[in-house]
Amino acid sequence: MHFRSFRGRLVVVFLGLFVLIQAVGYLVVGAFVRASARHTVEEELRLASVLFTRQLAVRTQQLVTATRLLSGDFALKAAVATADHATTASVLDNHGRRVDADLLLLASLDGAVIADMRGPARPGTPFPAPRLIAEAEAGREASDVVVIDGRLHQLTVVPLLAPEPIAWLAAGFAIDDRTAADLRRLSGLHVSFVARQDGRTVVPASTLDGADREALARQLPEGRKAGVLQLASGEHLLRVEPVGQNVVVVLQEPLAEALAPSQRLLWILLAVAAAGLVLALLGAVLVARRVSRPVMALAAGARRVAAGDFGTEVVVPQRDELGELADRFNEMVGGLREHERVRNELERTTRLKRFFSPHLADALSAGDESLLASHRREITVVFCDLRGFTAFAEAADPEEVMQLLDAYHAAIGPLVFEYEGTLERFTGDGCMVFFNDPVPCPDPAARAVRMTVAMRDTVGRLLQGWRSRGHALGFGSGIAMGYATIGRIGFEGRLDYAAIGTVTNLSARLCGEAQDGQILVSQPVHAEVERLVEATPMGPLALRGFAKPVVVYDVAGLRAGSVRP
Amino acid sequence: MTRWRALAGIVAVALLAAHDSPALSAAGALEATVKDDRGAPVADAIVSLTPTGAAAVAPHAATAVMDQQNKEFVPQVLPVPVGTAVTFPNRDNIRHHVYSFSAPKRFELPLYIGTPAAPVVFDKPGVVVLGCNIHDWMVGYVYVVPTPYFGRTAADGRVNLADVPPGAYEARVWHPRMRGEPDKTGKPATITAGEPAQLAFVLTLKPERRAPPRPSYEAPQS
Repeated sequence: MHFRSFRGRLVVVFLGLFVLIQAVGYLVVGAFVRASARHTVEEELRLASVLFTRQLAVRTQQLVTATRLLSGDFALKAAVATADHATTASVLDNHGRRVDADLLLLASLDGAVIADMRGPARPGTPFPAPRLIAEAEAGREASDVVVIDGRLHQLTVVPLLAPEPIAWLAAGFAIDDRTAADLRRLSGLHVSFVARQDGRTVVPASTLDGADREALARQLPEGRKAGVLQLASGEHLLRVEPVGQNVVVVLQEPLAEALAPSQRLLWILLAVAAAGLVLALLGAVLVARRVSRPVMALAAGARRVAAGDFGTEVVVPQRDELGELADRFNEMVGGLREHERVRNELERTTRLKRFFSPHLADALSAGDESLLASHRREITVVFCDLRGFTAFAEAADPEEVMQLLDAYHAAIGPLVFEYEGTLERFTGDGCMVFFNDPVPCPDPAARAVRMTVAMRDTVGRLLQGWRSRGHALGFGSGIAMGYATIGRIGFEGRLDYAAIGTVTNLSARLCGEAQDGQILVSQPVHAEVERLVEATPMGPLALRGFAKPVVVYDVAGLRAGSVRP
Repeated sequence: MTRWRALAGIVAVALLAAHDSPALSAAGALEATVKDDRGAPVADAIVSLTPTGAAAVAPHAATAVMDQQNKEFVPQVLPVPVGTAVTFPNRDNIRHHVYSFSAPKRFELPLYIGTPAAPVVFDKPGVVVLGCNIHDWMVGYVYVVPTPYFGRTAADGRVNLADVPPGAYEARVWHPRMRGEPDKTGKPATITAGEPAQLAFVLTLKPERRAPPRPSYEAPQS
């Protein structure tokens, strides 16, 4: 398919538009699907974080309740009051088991650890979460998620009342990788606890592997609530919820995993678009062909018409604008054809009328022009001219000369046509006419003689007036018969129909020999018209250009009863 | 109201004891005011005068009562001289389990009804915080002073200790919510016959602690 062809361009435009629309559609839908998928995941994360925070709050409440219950234990109070720290630690160990706590501590009112369920406390060890003691002292609920000895704990502090505070009881649940894994099983999300401790960010509990965990500790910006974070294993969508003073929980989902369903959708979309492209290509080619075929047919038709083939007709079967165009084209070519025909005919007729009578010319133009092709035939040739014309032309006014010639030509012209002769030429006062060509006739010699006699009579009457005015003018003519080569001579635009041969020369010589009123005919002519005319033999004449003397007859006139054949 | 009546009784006992003193020839008095650190008068602060020097007055054996009534200690604050035997009659129809882990007097009266046979003798000075093991909101104080001269401030933060023999004393103040130990509040005071001595105390009070909530149907009756 040539790109620059109409059809090619049509297909390219078609496909271009299709691809453009598909691309825009794909991009828009793609962006929407991605945004929607991301939004869905963000919403999931948000919901999970709400549930998560809620669950943590419930756990905290359970811890507080359990710790309060423990703090009310009279034996514990008694043990503390006796300052028997070993016993106190033992009570803590026992009570810790009751509520399944991972940590149970007792702190003095001034914030030093008195007893620890995990073993004997070093005297004077400061309580690890002094802020909680302050909270409890102020009568508020004192719970937080804190790092104690490198492990994360959900910790609560309640006073040991006897009935005024005599010590602070702290209980905690550990939050470790197992806790995170439990939460992941529940939510399907990655769960990490991130803590700020002594100016460092640590991840004490997480479902992430080591590299991701380190990346999270390194990269989690402070104050971030949600967004995308690049970890070792790829980008993660994340949601951050504070769970303690210095601890946040980070819920994450790998971005690739989150966008996987939308990615599948986009692949399907792409496949549909590709299939559409193939269909559009087929459709475009079909349509282009349907449109371009008649156009090309019209173009070919126009080329043929330009080359002169007015017979061209373009066939376009479809009945639409192109069909209409083809019809109008055909009509136009028809008009051209008719115009050309008329023009040709006119031109031919005009040409023919120079040589032939209008009647003959029309007959010829209706027929074929091969008649005028060069050929050889026996013809009868008449030559005639005016005697004394040269002297007259020298003596008379030019106006008079033209006047005479006009009258003379007007007199003899109609006779040429009347006798259906072929006027070969006018030369001033002379004129040559021949018969039996281009249309053969049965009696060329008789016609020639009759015409010449009629000319002599007509011109004779015409000349009488001029003679009476003192001009010595006369009319002479010669007729000969024989073969000549006849046809068009000259060049395009200036063609003549001429006869070349001895017969022409002979008739011209005879005309030259003739006196005023004489019609000299050769022997063969006389032989043809013997019974029509009164003629007198003149004995052989020696004529220039002819080796032997020629026998000549002088035709005096037509016999009575033979004026018209 | 019962609380006030009971207190009045105790004060009367103390004053009587003072009157019995043979050294008493012409009694003096102390007028003390107690304010908090923002200048507001502090009510229910206990101001005591302890004689300094050799002539320390030996405390008289006395008795006092700390009721448990409607699941409250009545009175909530009971100042007593050293050596006072305090009975803890239970006026409610349920048992109480009164205890104290305070250093001046550790004791425990496990679940009982009525008045325990033996009173508790408070033989060391200091603050004894009382609790009930089965009613967490019940809080009471027995303030044991080593002198018969003490009194409680009124709503205007003033207290008058009358009939105090002239001499050199150390004046102390105590309030259940005050920060610091009462021993550290000591001010020298010289009592003379005639014009009452004047003293002003300024206390820093802890915010009122929210005691463990009492069930709503257990609202205290007035």
